[in-house]
Amino acid sequence: MTPALQASGITKRFPGVLANDHVNFTLEKGEIHALLGENGAGKSTLMNILYGLYGPDEGEIVINGQTAQITTPHDAIAQGIGMVHQHFMLVPPLTVTENIMLGQESLTSATRALGGLAVLDRRGAGARISALSQQYGLAVEPEAYVRDLTVGEQQRVEIVKALYRAADILILDEPTAVLTPQEADELFVIMRRLVAQGKSIVFITHKLREVFAVADTISVMRSGQMVGSVKPGEATQEVLAEMMVGRKVILQLDKAEAHPGEPILQVENLQVLDDRRQLAVDGVSLEVRAGEILGIAGVQGNGQTELAEGLTGLRRVAGGHVMLLGQDTTNATPRKLIEVGTAHVPEDRHKHGLVLSFPVRDNLVLCTYYEPPYAQGVELDFAAIEEQAYRLVEMFDIRTPAIETNVGSLSGGNQQKVIVARELSRPIRLLIANQPTRGLDVGSIEFIHRQIVEARDRGTAVLLISAELDEIMSLSDRIAVMYKGKILDVLDASAAVREQLGLLMAGVTPAAGTEDAHV
Amino acid sequence: MSTVIRTGAVRRASGRTRGWWVTALVAAFGLLAAFLLLNLVIGGKCGVDCVTGTLAQMLRIATPIAFAALCGVVCERAGVVDIGIEGQMLMAAMVAYAVNLFGFQVLKDTMGTQAAGDLSRWVALLAAMIAGMVLAAFHAVVCIRFKANQIIIGTVINILALGLTGYFYRQFLAENLPAGPGTFPIVSLPLLSQIPILGPILFEQKPLVYIMLAAVCVVQYVLFSTRWGLRTRAVGEHPRAADTLGIDVFRTRYINVIMGGLLAGLGGAWFTLEAVDVFSPGMTNGLGFIGLAAMIFGKWNPFGALLGAFIFGLGTSVTATISIFRPDIPSQLPQMLPYILTMVVLSGVVGKAVPPAADGVPYEKD
Amino acid sequence: MSSPSSATLRRAPAPRITLLRVLDLLRMPALALFTAFAIGAILIWITSGSLQTVFEAYAGLIRGAFFKQRGLSETLVASVPYIFLSLAVAVGFKAGLFNIGVEGQFYIGAICAAWAGQAFHNLPAIVHLPLTVLAGMLGGAIWAAIPGFLKARTGAHEVINTIMMNYIAFRLVEYVVSGPLRDRLATAVQTARVAPEAELWSLWAVPERMRDPLNALGVALLLALITWFVARSLKKGAARRGEAQPGSTSFVSRHSPLIAAVVVGILSFVGLPPLTRLWWPFTDQYDRMHVGLILALLAAVAVWWLLWKTTTGFELRTSGANPNAARYSGISITRNIVLAMAISGGLAGIAGVVEILGVSICRCLPLFFSSGYGFDSIAIALLANNNPFGIVAGSFLWGAMRNGADLMELTSGVSKYIISVIQALVLLFVAAPSVVRWIYRMKEVPRTEAEAPLARGWGG
Repeated sequence: MTPALQASGITKRFPGVLANDHVNFTLEKGEIHALLGENGAGKSTLMNILYGLYGPDEGEIVINGQTAQITTPHDAIAQGIGMVHQHFMLVPPLTVTENIMLGQESLTSATRALGGLAVLDRRGAGARISALSQQYGLAVEPEAYVRDLTVGEQQRVEIVKALYRAADILILDEPTAVLTPQEADELFVIMRRLVAQGKSIVFITHKLREVFAVADTISVMRSGQMVGSVKPGEATQEVLAEMMVGRKVILQLDKAEAHPGEPILQVENLQVLDDRRQLAVDGVSLEVRAGEILGIAGVQGNGQTELAEGLTGLRRVAGGHVMLLGQDTTNATPRKLIEVGTAHVPEDRHKHGLVLSFPVRDNLVLCTYYEPPYAQGVELDFAAIEEQAYRLVEMFDIRTPAIETNVGSLSGGNQQKVIVARELSRPIRLLIANQPTRGLDVGSIEFIHRQIVEARDRGTAVLLISAELDEIMSLSDRIAVMYKGKILDVLDASAAVREQLGLLMAGVTPAAGTEDAHV
Repeated sequence: MSTVIRTGAVRRASGRTRGWWVTALVAAFGLLAAFLLLNLVIGGKCGVDCVTGTLAQMLRIATPIAFAALCGVVCERAGVVDIGIEGQMLMAAMVAYAVNLFGFQVLKDTMGTQAAGDLSRWVALLAAMIAGMVLAAFHAVVCIRFKANQIIIGTVINILALGLTGYFYRQFLAENLPAGPGTFPIVSLPLLSQIPILGPILFEQKPLVYIMLAAVCVVQYVLFSTRWGLRTRAVGEHPRAADTLGIDVFRTRYINVIMGGLLAGLGGAWFTLEAVDVFSPGMTNGLGFIGLAAMIFGKWNPFGALLGAFIFGLGTSVTATISIFRPDIPSQLPQMLPYILTMVVLSGVVGKAVPPAADGVPYEKD
Repeated sequence: MSSPSSATLRRAPAPRITLLRVLDLLRMPALALFTAFAIGAILIWITSGSLQTVFEAYAGLIRGAFFKQRGLSETLVASVPYIFLSLAVAVGFKAGLFNIGVEGQFYIGAICAAWAGQAFHNLPAIVHLPLTVLAGMLGGAIWAAIPGFLKARTGAHEVINTIMMNYIAFRLVEYVVSGPLRDRLATAVQTARVAPEAELWSLWAVPERMRDPLNALGVALLLALITWFVARSLKKGAARRGEAQPGSTSFVSRHSPLIAAVVVGILSFVGLPPLTRLWWPFTDQYDRMHVGLILALLAAVAVWWLLWKTTTGFELRTSGANPNAARYSGISITRNIVLAMAISGGLAGIAGVVEILGVSICRCLPLFFSSGYGFDSIAIALLANNNPFGIVAGSFLWGAMRNGADLMELTSGVSKYIISVIQALVLLFVAAPSVVRWIYRMKEVPRTEAEAPLARGWGG
């Protein structure tokens, strides 16, 4: 049977990097094909080429046996390819209907001749959307504004958007990154339903577990090259991990037993509002002791960001108390918290953690520049600053041509190392690390994990927030699960079981029993 | 675990409908307060005629401000910041003046003064639109194609316009000029202008005022009910999303900015074809920037921007009325009023204004 | 990206200033200037119809700027306000703010100086002059701090607010000059002449001024301060390069900057008055050059020191480069926005002070005083990439153009406004270097990641 899609010899070069190196990829009709690889392997690039967002430097694409010229998304859509991106391509202030029909708008027949100035036929489009929604079991509400939808709902809208354009081939880029394990399972049910109705699906992920749950074929990419394709029955997680990274990977970190001491951070009934004045953190109480790592698991968007920002002075606390070393630090300024001994590795390293246009040297003293020895009164002491910079670059193995290089030109892993170096080189009592290894290569991930554990062993209290359940389970001594702004339960790491955590992350508490997890 | 998928997400109203009434109510109160204050200052001498006259003046002054605001709306809804509106209006004003003058000279012998005057004015209006579009195209190319900082380029246009209009004025227009045909005459709409109070205010104005009111309605309609408007708004909020659906982000922005230039050109024409019939360097006097403030006040909606233009127009016309009745108050003090009012409005007295999300950010197609 | 491992990181920083590096930095600005003048030439040619006019115009420009009698000194005089105003704009840009309000702040500074200069009588110059300068500085600072505060608190964009403040300033100053501060004794509408003690000394009058021991004391203190600062910087630079100081614990070498300062101070106080009476190069009484020029150069150094050598400057630059990271690291954005605007306004205010106390013949503020300096200073700041020393160079260039424009108009009939057109074009080419590259078919340079946006959209 002719494959739905066959890409051969795809090559794509960006300045300084060979993103795709003569990649061959085949998608059979009616299959779910998983594309696996770590961050930076080239998976998204390949898919963007198939969808017409980039043009390949070399290579050929054949769809249903016929060569296809895909230079713009328009062409891809015409060929029946639809893509759901990792970061949704939805316009928040517009309605679901408007988003779905954008680019292929329904126009009222009376004014159709006016072209661009024709009146939109929202009702007609809405009807078609409802029909599609019924056919594939993807519940969406046409008149809702996208900005009011949950992440899961937005994803369904994206899928309907592709189906609206008669897509036969669906590309899903990291669709489970923002879902709970249960929501991910439901997505897999939807995917099988789609495939049963004749669609073919490619889904990109870096999560090993998922591919076994749903894929018919697994292809692995590494450093821009296609390493190989296997069937789920033929491989194990370890084999796949080795294909992804190119060497044996330690999937579980070796760490010593924790010896927790006095409580460092005590949070009581914390309430924090999000940007839309809704309660994002709804009465959270927790305690982190010296020498232990408390991991907060949970799907992104359940208040973790606001919790971290509330604890580090970046967001107003609306209610409750925060005590650091016995002092009340509720709504303390970031500077006060830094002085009391808080370190913060922020979630968004470009937004909060670094000044990209400043040199590495300046970024390394970003929190300490105003104190001796780096400053005498108002004047900066560059001799001391440079001394410290050289020291940290060596200690933390930061790869940079010079300390005067702008930190924006370093790789993601090295940028994160700059942040970690800066935060861990002060005398600190509490470390708050929010998604510390997001988007990094395996080497950097291992390094940072080791740094966090070493900080713990030195007696620092560590609050680790992460959406990667593996990271939480591997590093934490105790695990708390956050759902919709509340801490549902706190478990001892040794006793925690993955499925149990997954249920908690979806809002299912043992006492409450079954609950509608979808809103 | 249930697999029932509920569809009952909370459907909050966008807040737009409710805000409309509040704004209208605030506006009505503001108007009342303004006239009470006015009468206080000038000792109660402002009767019906005075109120009518002041409101009619408000509409006149609101015209260039509203055109500037509409230009801003059209550009920024597509994601391009244009602070060069002041310069576009100034250039259009000078071009309109020059074309009006010389056109009249050329035509008056063949067509007679009356007809020649009418024709040359409308041709001058067209020329003003073109001048606005040319400067806007320049802005579009440098900002969209060359991805320069949009606020700086807007400033460049302002300086360039000041320089070019000053230069051409000095070289050709400062002295020894023949008489021109003057400004547009007032066009009284037949029955409507007889309506008491509202009639003289709304229906006894010069053409550009009517064109302005029509333009507001047209832009509102296009922006929210047509395909072009939908694509424009998408491009201004999330250009990458639009791009992935095959919409040409660059083309949409180019056309929007140039259309904005057309509107700015109409605004500029007001100065030399309706307000006074002579050009002086720098005569726009900040009204372009006040237009931008009106746009922000109106939250990037045409009708809201019109309301903003009315507010500033009212500020200016009340100032003028005060100066007439109270010549003892030095004129400069009330003249500061519109500018202070702008600052008050911008400081969020009427709620936080959120611009289109991609406003001011050059689109990288990588 | 493969980079050498940290073990090979060399300690000694690369030499900072080399000829090659300077030439490379100058390449784009030079091209921008050249292209702008070329287009200006084309415009003159088209509108005047003759190539001859173009040559006459540019020749007149150059002659007027440098070679006519007192040409160079007039150019220097014209540069001084540009230096202050461009420094003001640059400080704003570095903090991420677009201060177009320098024109209004200039006016407010001028009117404050006009008031302070004639409100007090018989105050010695050592008190009155700094007082007047301070008055102007405070006026400008407050005028700028208002839109700064509004931005910090309400997010209102400073572009529109500062422009509004400009128009308010024009009206306010108009009112004050024709009303409360009007000089009843003069026929023209202007403020009263400031007291002679408040004037900025013309350079030719320095020996005369130095006769007064208080003045000599003031000058000595100033020179001592400068010496102390220079000596300290040299010492720090040596420490940073790791040069060992043998015997560095002796009293003299530990306090060497202070000692040098005291020595210079005493020498100047005792020696300068007689020295200047014996020999002083400036003797032309019609020469308008004044000590404000020295103030301007000092201001440039002060701004450089503030922005790159102090914690305050670090905070300002961080707030401008990434406000989120600034907040994260404990920097108060509100405070820094207002501070940056205040410093910016203060510098612009001093420009106004200099105009009244040093440039104007009547040592007063007349009614229809139009400066048009505002937009130019934005162009200069951008041309110099917000570098204080580049600003001095750019201001000199602009002063030359402004000064030469008079003679240009006189000899060739080409209106002075062409200079505005050329300046706008320079601003364009500096702000959009891609345009220059496109014109000259130069290779497109890959955009360096995360170059701090000078000014963002309304989102702030």
